[in-house]
Amino acid sequence: MKDRILATAAVLFMAGATAQAQERTLTISVYAFAQDAYAKIVYQPFEKECGCKLVVETGNSAERLTKMEVNKAEPVIDMAVMSMADALSAARQGLVDKVDTSKLSNFVRLYDIAKDPNQDGMSVGYTFYATSIAYRSDKVKITSWNDLLSKQLAGRVALPNITTNQGPPALYMLGLAMGKDTPDLKASIDAVGEHRNDIVTFYNRSSQLVQLMEQDEIWAAPIGRFAWAPLRKLDVPIKWATPKEGQTGGLNVMVVTRGSKNRDLALQLMDFWLSTKVQTDLANALVDSPANKDVEVSPEVAENITYGAETAANVKLIPSAVELANRENWLSEWNAKVQQ
Amino acid sequence: MFQNRAEALTLALPAATFAALVFVLPVIVLLSGGLHVEGRWTLEAYQRFFADPLNRLVIWRTLELGALVTAAAAVIGYASALAIVDLPAAGKSRMIGLVVLPLMISPVARTYAWLVILGRAGIVNKALMLIGLTDEPVRVLFTQTAVFIGLLQLFLPLMVLSLVSALENMPNDVIPAARVLGANWLQIFVKVVLPLTREGLVTGGTLVFAGSVTAYITPAILGGSKVLTLVTLLYQRVTIANDLVSASVIAFILIVMSFSANLLLNRIATGRSLK
Amino acid sequence: MTMRQPAIVVLGLLVAFLVGPFVVIVAASLSAGDTLAFPPQGFSLRWVAKVFAEQSFRSSFALSMFLAVFATLAALVLGIPASYAMSRYSMPFAEAVRTVVSSPIIVPGIIVGLALLRYLVAPFGINVVVALFLAHTALVLPYCVRVVSASLDNLRSDVEEAAILLGSSRLGAFFRVVLPNIRNGVLAAFILGFVTSFDQVPVSLFLSGPGVQTLPIDMLGYMERTYDPSVAALSSLLAFLSIGIMFVAERFIGFSRYV
Repeated sequence: MKDRILATAAVLFMAGATAQAQERTLTISVYAFAQDAYAKIVYQPFEKECGCKLVVETGNSAERLTKMEVNKAEPVIDMAVMSMADALSAARQGLVDKVDTSKLSNFVRLYDIAKDPNQDGMSVGYTFYATSIAYRSDKVKITSWNDLLSKQLAGRVALPNITTNQGPPALYMLGLAMGKDTPDLKASIDAVGEHRNDIVTFYNRSSQLVQLMEQDEIWAAPIGRFAWAPLRKLDVPIKWATPKEGQTGGLNVMVVTRGSKNRDLALQLMDFWLSTKVQTDLANALVDSPANKDVEVSPEVAENITYGAETAANVKLIPSAVELANRENWLSEWNAKVQQ
Repeated sequence: MFQNRAEALTLALPAATFAALVFVLPVIVLLSGGLHVEGRWTLEAYQRFFADPLNRLVIWRTLELGALVTAAAAVIGYASALAIVDLPAAGKSRMIGLVVLPLMISPVARTYAWLVILGRAGIVNKALMLIGLTDEPVRVLFTQTAVFIGLLQLFLPLMVLSLVSALENMPNDVIPAARVLGANWLQIFVKVVLPLTREGLVTGGTLVFAGSVTAYITPAILGGSKVLTLVTLLYQRVTIANDLVSASVIAFILIVMSFSANLLLNRIATGRSLK
Repeated sequence: MTMRQPAIVVLGLLVAFLVGPFVVIVAASLSAGDTLAFPPQGFSLRWVAKVFAEQSFRSSFALSMFLAVFATLAALVLGIPASYAMSRYSMPFAEAVRTVVSSPIIVPGIIVGLALLRYLVAPFGINVVVALFLAHTALVLPYCVRVVSASLDNLRSDVEEAAILLGSSRLGAFFRVVLPNIRNGVLAAFILGFVTSFDQVPVSLFLSGPGVQTLPIDMLGYMERTYDPSVAALSSLLAFLSIGIMFVAERFIGFSRYV
């Protein structure tokens, strides 16, 4: 009897484990939120078009980059989206290949800043976004980045963890507001350290903010425009701040993994993602602001995303090389002053 | 008892080999990662780890949480167990069923329930404001208190069950005898109940302490990045910085903590037993 | 000792503390509102329905079930002979074997997960499902050995010896005498192993890959992305399932005697 059980187990086991290899699978690594919208606008239509299966891994940029490092010898994913700086880090570690832009018919439609953000041909921008502060308009008023550490928000504010994409830009703007905007972010990190007991949490994923706002845990937090849509839908009044120091922002890019066996599918997906139709749909769903300059949206939609040639020209981006050079310092200063 | 050693080994070897290859070996390799830097055997990694004040803080906080949760579980556990063993049989088994109930629910779910309950708009705060203990909602989430509460709820059933079992094994007449001899309830507890149920306390205590110190979900969700414990620190170092050396050091520290707790509690138990 | 009133208060608070979160979860899952909240806003079964409709929950549930059943079976296949050897023989290195086999309980789950990922899976390029299967088997093995050993210890060996004296082969004696008598212990071990594997988080956290997740990991990920009651609904359903299994186990084999 034991033998029969073993045999059946072995058969079922083998069947389960090898059942994956039927149709072509494209594995991608993306940010965690708005996945419902992405499924409708990008994944399902693309699967129909390519006749392939899409497997999606989600998480924040830093974690996914580490996974790529771990799997360097045998890459699990074919294509990933990440921040500009993480893409440069990936390139430096030999994890990605040059993007063959000749295969991307929509490449010419991109804003110039999205075409080759790191000047190494290894990544293509698909969305850029502004970062500002989302706040409860019935509880506080935000006119400056300094307001984040003000008394009115004590115990009601969340800041991004320094390891996230929003961390350094938010700290940079804080430094700007304090009049001390040095690249080592020392002044702002020290200020955050001093006020750390007034800060509810340092979030690691933008999606946490929805729950925090909903439950009245926080009244304000720096966020990127991509995280704005779900906050708008909550039944508490939330506004997007326009602080006097201005807004910062970022550019998210697509990369192709070195050693991937589905390069052609990856490029096909990238082209699809950059097409005017998909970029317009994503913009209208308030998911991602377009990097494709042919996208046209209504004024209401434009108000809620980062839109237009002028905006594209004015987004203050921290150069990737600068960010990478300073990351270690930022982290040790942060651990020393803030994490205590 | 059979004496054929070859037979015995053949029967036991598959399990032992499997465990050794799949489990023991990788863990040993991980632990050796902290002792082996750039090709040499050295304690450098440990020195560097302990030199960082953040790491020391995290170690201290983890130990503190473990000790507090264990102490609270012991006190509440004894009170509850003593009440439970006095119940009539039907009530007793129902009570035990209720104590076991939380263990049936996924730790992910239990922890998220606390997010809802302890939030500023949650029922705890509403109740506190209703009683008038506070005017403004108290901030509990992402503090050590929230993690403490979550861990306590997770592991208290283990302590209660352990103590109930120990109390049931106590001879029935000791307490009445002590009463007859004029002892008050405090003396009864300290001089009679405690020594006789030491084993239960040790078992329960070890489970609770080891569990609290090595928990991941509860500190991760209820504490976030503000209340780092050794486990969440390890997770952060590995997934963001790919720092396997730190991970190895932390792993070693965690294993030492669990083992020591067990040894210490055992010493206390066999130290003064009343036989 | 008769201390009625304080006892009632203590037990009341205890139950509220331990069972409260469960009540919250169930109530929140029946909410008609859009987010996880308590007290719930209105009554609706739509989140329960969403659990069944959600594709990723279905596949991660299937994976968790697959692992729970087959990893526990594998652990039993490995563990029963080992328990038998340790209980019926004077075995050399008995302590060593016992320690090695029980080690997964002592080492924190997150360390196991990390060690397996970096030093077993990554270097040998093992498929994710296989890795999870191996890991879960190793994690469940100590529980199986412990429970079956306890059962074997309670079974007097003279019945077996009598069978052998009367001409049965050793293997025959095992299958016809020992196994039926420890049947309940084996069942208890299976249930314990099943629950351990199903609820396992830290190891599965590290070993899960894109598209391949166990149910608890899926729930964690879902909660990070969408803060809605469907996870509460899923947890309630799972809890009722576990309670049901435990109830049946207690009724038919007196489960609580074995653990």
